[in-house]
Amino acid sequence: MIAVPTRADRVATSPLGRANPLATLAIAIAWLVALATTTDVRPPLLVTAVAIAAALALGRVPPADLARGLAPLWLAALSVGFFNAVLSPANADPTATVVLAFGPLRLTEPALAAGIALGLRVVAIVAVGVAWSRITDPTHLTDALVQQGRLADRFAYGALAALQAIPWLAEDLVALREARRMRGLRSTWHPRVLVGLLVLAIRRGDRLAVAMDARGFTAAGRTRYRIVRWATLDTVVVLAGLAVLAGIVALR
Amino acid sequence: MGLAAEGRAGPVAVVARDVAVAYAGRAEPAVAGVSFDLAPGACLLIVGPSGSGKSTLARAVAGLVPWSVPGRLGGLLQVDGIPVGGPDPGALVARVGVVFQDPSSQLVMERVEDDVAFGLEGRRWSRPAMGGRVPAALAEAGLPGFGRRRTARLSGGEQQRLALAGAFAPRPGLLVLDEPTANLDPPGAAAFGARLAAIRDARSATIVLVEHRAEIAWPLADLVLALGADGRPLALGTPDVLLTRHRRALADAGVWLPDEPFPPLPADGGDGDGSPGGAPRLVEARRVGFAYARGLPVLVDVDATVAAGERVALLGPNGSGKSTLARLLVGLLRPTAGSVRLAGRDPARVAARDLARLAGYVVQDPERGFLADTVEGEVLAGLTPAERASAGDVAAALGLPLDGFGARNPYLLSGGEQRRLSLVSQLVRRPRLLVLDEPTFGQDRRTYAGLLALLREQLEGGAALVAATHDLRFAGDVAGRTIRLAGGRIAEGAP
Repeated sequence: MIAVPTRADRVATSPLGRANPLATLAIAIAWLVALATTTDVRPPLLVTAVAIAAALALGRVPPADLARGLAPLWLAALSVGFFNAVLSPANADPTATVVLAFGPLRLTEPALAAGIALGLRVVAIVAVGVAWSRITDPTHLTDALVQQGRLADRFAYGALAALQAIPWLAEDLVALREARRMRGLRSTWHPRVLVGLLVLAIRRGDRLAVAMDARGFTAAGRTRYRIVRWATLDTVVVLAGLAVLAGIVALR
Repeated sequence: MGLAAEGRAGPVAVVARDVAVAYAGRAEPAVAGVSFDLAPGACLLIVGPSGSGKSTLARAVAGLVPWSVPGRLGGLLQVDGIPVGGPDPGALVARVGVVFQDPSSQLVMERVEDDVAFGLEGRRWSRPAMGGRVPAALAEAGLPGFGRRRTARLSGGEQQRLALAGAFAPRPGLLVLDEPTANLDPPGAAAFGARLAAIRDARSATIVLVEHRAEIAWPLADLVLALGADGRPLALGTPDVLLTRHRRALADAGVWLPDEPFPPLPADGGDGDGSPGGAPRLVEARRVGFAYARGLPVLVDVDATVAAGERVALLGPNGSGKSTLARLLVGLLRPTAGSVRLAGRDPARVAARDLARLAGYVVQDPERGFLADTVEGEVLAGLTPAERASAGDVAAALGLPLDGFGARNPYLLSGGEQRRLSLVSQLVRRPRLLVLDEPTFGQDRRTYAGLLALLREQLEGGAALVAATHDLRFAGDVAGRTIRLAGGRIAEGAP
């Protein structure tokens, strides 16, 4: 019986999926830092475009997946831009050019520009984050953090196991609310439900810790089933990412 | 480390002398006075009534108390000559493979092959050796080619096989299995038993097994240890000796025995007008379909009716949609196609306080239904004063008398006790429809008989019962007809 390759396998075998997650993480951080220091309009637009293009072309992320990840972004960017423009102190400046006036409210040109720039930065930051998270396999990242990042096994693999327990929380919540309904209690957000949720999460964590202990997790000197190396590809990824960033900054 | 050292040490001996185990914060030990000698490659079966400390003893033998599970260990317990509780717990655990009853809480990694490799990494296998052993262990467990699958997407039966593959991959000298077939359907449990029989016949590992399914477990055992309700040994010996000389004592203590035939299953009757004596229809499910958002359909075109006073066993393999149908019948889910009527109303729209008197639902995992910090609070939650008056009797009938158990923490009860507590909390309201998901898990023959008597009393009072179960003994004992699901549909052969 041969398992069908999943979408995640397609990503994992792509150039960016194969790259050391620490290389792509370094690029993502460099881009985010650069974004934080600019107030221009063009760099965030270019970074967004490059991040999305790289995830699609070099990371083979299915477009529908990426679109789902980016969906909440547009609303966030719009609201950040809108409120920053409307509430900007620049609107009180009597010498500024008025773009729009509605009764006592006025929107001036500098305020609008600041709002747009902020909104675009939110777009770029989220786009970089979503693109990176879609090309990065959690196990691969954990391996790299342990093997190259010298992170402690216990912390790294414990966190990875906890990450996989997150879907359980949603199921626990449904089950606890159902239990209240079947006892004739108002099933909505009773504090007791949250207590139950916490207890279940702790119990699951306990069981997982015992199961990990039982499989020799705490023994000193673990060997590695999956080896993560720093390859030429990774140096290429880092240099290319920095070159793209330099180009974007220079274009300003 | 060379290949020769990797898991080739063979089965190990286990020695217990007057072993006692107490959990942290509890004065009285859960298990005490246990002594046995287990030769390398032999299989010890631990049996006993619900709450007698079987799981506790298994954890201690696996070297997990007090190292990983807080508690106190008394007496002498040695695995391969290494004392449990000694200075090097890691060395001892490296010789042991463990499978617990809930497979989903012991899978660590996201992908199947990584999960199997997890135990090998901890035991310092070389990478080439792991590369050969991981696929072989998966194939042995009946999961060939599953390496790249995601552990979360496996069915319950597949997860249980993966847990065994992970425990057995390092070629442990001792396998400790605590109710490993708890979540498996009868064919899955039989397959698991056959796999275990192969390990036992090859004498490739010593086995310590806790298992309620007597027909699977007893034929495997070289030695059987029966614990009493107080956690002290009742009898120790070969299966033959226990079944001949101690039969009466074991049966009285509530131990299931392997050579008692199950009652015959009633005939299938999926839909039809199975209303005995023209009793009114209590539940009507018409062409019910259900699919989770963005998921494959779980149920397709299911028709089912249940009349007042009827007793229906809902059978079918793991993942066939039994639990989903159960939740639809009591209105916890809304069908995505078709309709469900409970006493002529849409159960999903009935107010909670009315629904709780109309229907009772016992979830598969009791801990997920607990609402209080004490057993008494759990039993009394949501009851009217009149219902409160009879609550103590119901609890006592299921072996949880409130003057003994009332102040205990529900989460710290044994698995079988938790199951009974969840039954009590639903039966006290005497609902018109009882929907039970795996109600007999972890029950000994005494608590089973108590459950049966209580159900019969409520059924004689006119209640209807739908029980989703893998327990064919229970289905034969209690059901008037069966509904069989397969792949989300009423299985063929139903009228």
